[in-house]
This record gives sequence, C-alpha cells and structure tokens, in this order.
Amino acid sequence: MNVAIIGCGGMGRMHAQMAANSGFAIKVCADLNQAKAAELARDFGAEATTDCQGVCGRAEVAAVAINTPTPTHLEFIKLAAQHGKHIFCEKPLARTEQECKEAIAAARDAGVKLFTGHVVRYFQEFETIKQQMDAGVVGKPGFAKTFRGGISPAGEGNWFRDFEKSGGVIFDCLIHDFDWIRYAFGDVERVFSQTMRRSEPEVMEYALVTLRMKSGVIAHVIGSWAHPSGFAVKAEVCGSKGMLHFDSNDTSIQTNLRETPGEGPGVIVPGSPVDVSPYQLEWEDFKNWLEGATPRVSPQDALEAVRIAEAALKSAETGAPVTL
Amino acid sequence: MAKIGVMSFAHMHAYAYAEALKSLPNADFAGVWDDDAARGEAAAKLYGVPFTADMDAFLGGGLDGVIITSENMKHRAMVEKAAAAGAWILCEKPIAPNTEDAAAIVAACKQAKVGLGTAFPCRFIPALTQVKDQLDAGGLGALYAASCTNNGQFPGGWFADEALSGGGATMDHTVHVADVLRWFTGKEFTKVYCENGNLLREGINTDDIGALHLEMDGGLVVSHIASWNRPQSFPTWGDVTMELVGERGVVNVDAFNQKIDVYDDEAGKGAWAYWGGDPNRSLVNDFIAAIHEGREPAATGVDGLRAVEVTEAAYASAKSGAMAEVKRLAI
Ligand SMILES: NC(=O)c1ccc[n+]([C@@H]2O[C@H](COP(=O)([O-])OP(=O)(O)OC[C@H]3O[C@@H](n4cnc5c(N)ncnc54)[C@H](O)[C@@H]3O)[C@@H](O)[C@H]2O)c1
Repeated sequence: MNVAIIGCGGMGRMHAQMAANSGFAIKVCADLNQAKAAELARDFGAEATTDCQGVCGRAEVAAVAINTPTPTHLEFIKLAAQHGKHIFCEKPLARTEQECKEAIAAARDAGVKLFTGHVVRYFQEFETIKQQMDAGVVGKPGFAKTFRGGISPAGEGNWFRDFEKSGGVIFDCLIHDFDWIRYAFGDVERVFSQTMRRSEPEVMEYALVTLRMKSGVIAHVIGSWAHPSGFAVKAEVCGSKGMLHFDSNDTSIQTNLRETPGEGPGVIVPGSPVDVSPYQLEWEDFKNWLEGATPRVSPQDALEAVRIAEAALKSAETGAPVTL
Repeated sequence: MAKIGVMSFAHMHAYAYAEALKSLPNADFAGVWDDDAARGEAAAKLYGVPFTADMDAFLGGGLDGVIITSENMKHRAMVEKAAAAGAWILCEKPIAPNTEDAAAIVAACKQAKVGLGTAFPCRFIPALTQVKDQLDAGGLGALYAASCTNNGQFPGGWFADEALSGGGATMDHTVHVADVLRWFTGKEFTKVYCENGNLLREGINTDDIGALHLEMDGGLVVSHIASWNRPQSFPTWGDVTMELVGERGVVNVDAFNQKIDVYDDEAGKGAWAYWGGDPNRSLVNDFIAAIHEGREPAATGVDGLRAVEVTEAAYASAKSGAMAEVKRLAI
C-alpha cells in the first residue's frame, strides 16, 4: 500500500520510517519546504513535491500521513477523505473541537479510516501502568499525577512557539496525558487549570491542570515548556492499597556528551530502549484497522482529548473550573 | 537551661520533639501532661520524666516553655492555658483547624507576652534552607511558577476523624508547603482552588487527597498535592517536593531525598535509611534559643495563622466549586 508523507519535519521522518517498517511503501514526500521534502524522499526512495494538496488526490496513493503544524491538519484530512484516502494524522487531530468534528464527519462521509497519533497509549511504560492498575495492584485508584515537558520546542518557522498555531503546552503537549488519563480512568467531569506563559527572557510556558474524572478520581497534570534543557515524563497512580510510579529520568541509558565550545550543547538521549517503538505500534494498529481490527485510538477519542485541552485553556483564562 | 514540658502525645511528632529535648544541652525536658493518661504515662516513662495528670498543676510547675502536640481541635484551649501560665509555646501544625482558633491562639500569646512558634520544621531542612539562600542570592532570577507535593502515608487515628482534626489530608499536608513558599518568596497567597475528596481509604470521614491551585501576590502560580496517598508498603513516610520555575531555570527539590536504599530479607520490602539533617531537632533548638533570647521562634504563630488561612480557603473552594479568596486576618 502506497503512502504519502505530508509534512517532512521531525514527525514526518519518524512516520516515514515506521510506515516503511510496517510494510507500507513511501511513494511521495510533500512539504512546503522543498529541501525537507527532497531529503526525506531521497532517504526512502520516494518522489518529492511541494504540492502538498495535490498528493491527496494521487491515484497511486492509498493513505496519507499528516505531520504538518496542527492548524493545517483539517485541510489535509478533508482533501484526503474526499479522494478516498485513509488517514494517519498526528495529534492533536485538529486545532479546535469544531475542526475535529468536521474532520471526523469528512472521514465518515467518505468511508475512510482516520487514525490519530495518540502515541502515549502505545508507550510500554504507560501500558504497563494501565495493566497493573487493571489487574488491581493499587486497589481502587483515586489519584493520578503526570508530568511532561522540558525545553520549549521551536519547529519549522517557530510554529510551536506561536500560541495561535500550536495552542501551547496545554494543547500540544498535555493533550497526550489528557488522552491517556481518559483512556485509563474514563471520562472527565471538570477541568481546572493555571498557566504561566512568558515571552521574556525567552518563550516559555508552564501549565498546571487538574482533571476531576466522572469516577471521582483526581488527576493532576503538569506540563513544561519552561525548562532550560531536556525532556522528561513522569507518571504516578495511587489507589486504596498501592501505588505505581514512573520517572523517565531514572532510565537505563543516560548519555551526557561533553559540550564542545562553538558546537552548542550536548544532546541528552532520552527514553527507554524497547523492542518495538511505540510509534511502530501505532502504525501496526493503523494497518490492522485497515484490515478490519479495532484500533486503540478512535476518532472520537481524539476529539475528546481536544475538548479536554480546550477546557483547560478556557479555565486558565477565566480562573474558573470548566465542566465538560 | 530552659524547662520544657510536652502537652499531649496525640501527634506522633511529639516523640521526635521529646528526643530533641533529651539531646539538646540547653533544654531540660521537665515533664509530660496528656489528657490521655495512659499515653502520657507511657511517654513519660519512655523519656524518664514525670507525668502530671492535672493540667493546672503541670502548668504551675514553673515551665519556661511547652510544646503542644495534641489533636488540632484541642490546640486552642491548651495554648490559652499555657499562655496564661506564662510559658512560651511551640504549637504543632496546623496551628489550628480554622482561622478563628488560629487568630485566638495568636491573640492569647500576644496578650500574655509569650513567644509563639508554629512547628514548621521545613524551615530547618538543609535542602530547603539552601534553596532559600539560592533564591535570595538571585540564582534563579524571578520566580514564575511552582508545583509542589506533600505526600504521606495514611496516619490513621484522629487525623482522619473530623471532630478531632477538623479536616483531612488537605489540612494536614498543605500548611508546610504554604509556609515554605511564603518564606521563600516573602509573598502572600491570594487565591486557591481545590479539588479534594476521600478517594483512597475506606471508613474515614475526611478527605485523603487534595489537589490545590494557588496564586500568590504578583501572579505567581502554584499547584500543590496534599495527600495521604503513599501506601503502607512505600519505603518511607512520604515527601516534600517542589519544582520551582524561574527566569534563569528550574530548581527541583526533594527535601528528604538523602537516603540509602536498604534491602533486608526480614523486612520483606525495600526501605530508605535517611541520612540528612534532623529538622525536628533544629526546630526545637530554635524554640529553646527563642526562649533564652526573649524573641519569637523562626516560624511564628502568625506564620501558622497565614497557612491556616490557605487551608480554610481550600476547603471553602472544594465546597463551593469555585476559586476562593485567601482572607488575610488583621493581627
Ligand atoms: N506524537 C508525538 O510524539 C509528537 C511529537 C512532536 C510533534 N507532534 C505533532 O506532529 C505534528 C508535526 O510536528 P513536528 O514536530 O514534526 O513539526 P516540524 O516543525 O518539525 O515539522 C512540520 C513540517 O511541516 C511543514 N509544513 C508547515 N506548514 C505546512 C503546510 N501548510 N503544508 C505542508 N507542509 C507544511 C514544515 O515545513 C515542516 O517540515 C504536529 O501536529 C505536532 O503536534 C507529535
């Protein structure tokens, strides 16, 4: 099955590799930036183009992978759906709840599959927490806490730092945790949120969110694009007879490269080495869906995550809880 | 030598303070009073000091100071008696279950001209005093936001009985961090939102989890988890942690993270052997010094009151479902 990669930045490259590993053929790589499209296309033996809309209508393409900045997702989803292409779209599904609804309707009307990359559901550490919890290890869960963040990302043309485009740390980053918490604990009753957003001395944001679940569980979600370096993830679940805890800082590999003058800072290699990348598991799930199985993330799930994120943004703005 | 009595061993911290009184060279641990005579007698025996069952007789014994470690609801009556007897007072946190009692406690000590300290040992944890120095020296630049925890194992007993404690984990485990943030920043809390509830332990009538969102003067945003969420199998009693986000970077402090991992087949679980400073001893030492120097202890009764203003507002918010103003009482 032939795939078109739309958006050849950080995630575009990731998904091209994962799609190829899952047996898809990368047919064409599209990006507004010709050099980026060309570089990725060369590595995967694909064609490069800057006609990003055009690839959605290519007869030889059966599915598209959308890895462009969030506000452009809806347009590509609609175009691809119109032409009967299945869609793998990075999270957030779209920039607003309304846009998500349009995206879902477009896919439904066209009878195509619309998968959203809520990859945390596929991370082994998070899946293990959920399995332990579902096996009753903590007893009845009552509390969860997560942290996700590090240095403020930039992206092509600094789009992550443009709140209108990315929605900031709450909409772009914490949406992962909102989705996973809903997956693990069920629906959200209300949301309270605070955010610290600054442009001086540099662009940074720090967000503190509490979700009250319909079950009564309290989930506290912290997000940072305010750290001077690095990236970390932490998760904790407490119940009536136990607790589960994970901290990515406590990992099996820690590389600390010497900073050479003039070459900029060394890179800290994050994450845990695993047999199969969670991004690969996403693609396997997408592929299995095309063959008739039920995927772990439904379009409705992606919409719900956006609703929670929008509620958090509204709460941060008004200083009042937002009931969903 | 300051003659110090301990009033009530209801709170487990009494044992730590008693150890400190025994070990400090300028303290004379003079005796124990307790409204639970069996508990008081056992403690007195443990430390080799006399037990007095009658409170007036106890307070009439020429004490320079008392440490009050009773149930929260009983603090006020004991403070009023001890202050009238002219003793300096170190009162366990929270200084009171509500601002009315807290203000009365402060007023009673003011009127009797005795010093009043709130037992906030966090002010003496070396990790926290170093962060305070770092902040004062401008190492982090301006402080913009913080996320904090004071988690603990479930203490059981009167702590989870509202009639004696006045409230649960939100009351028990908010005041330390509230005080540390006031001490760090010199700012006051203005607003709080709180989600809490009895979500973990069965058969209690208080909350055991509180998630608080706070604002301080100048718009500093803070979240805090006040909990009894650590299971009995957890290697230690709990934690005090803070992530401080500022102009020049981020400081993460885990105040008690100075530990040796211990694995003992007979214990059946891993444990931590703590090797850091002894903040309880430093707290009592400061109280003794305050008596000698005729000054207020490092964390005063007013500091205790300010922290109670925060918990009272947190409970008000949890009840109303809206953000609550932290009302600052004039003193
Ligand atoms: N799941 C995850 O772990 C994860 C991580 C990072 C980003 N993301 C998501 O992936 C998506 C892409 O993020 P990224 O980090 O790869 O960003 P990026 O900035 O690295 O890449 C975006 C690419 O899209 C191109 N582009 C911009 N506008 C375009 C347009 N209108 N048409 C075609 N191409 C366009 C840019 O030239 C760039 O190459 C976002 O939705 C983001 O939220 C997900």
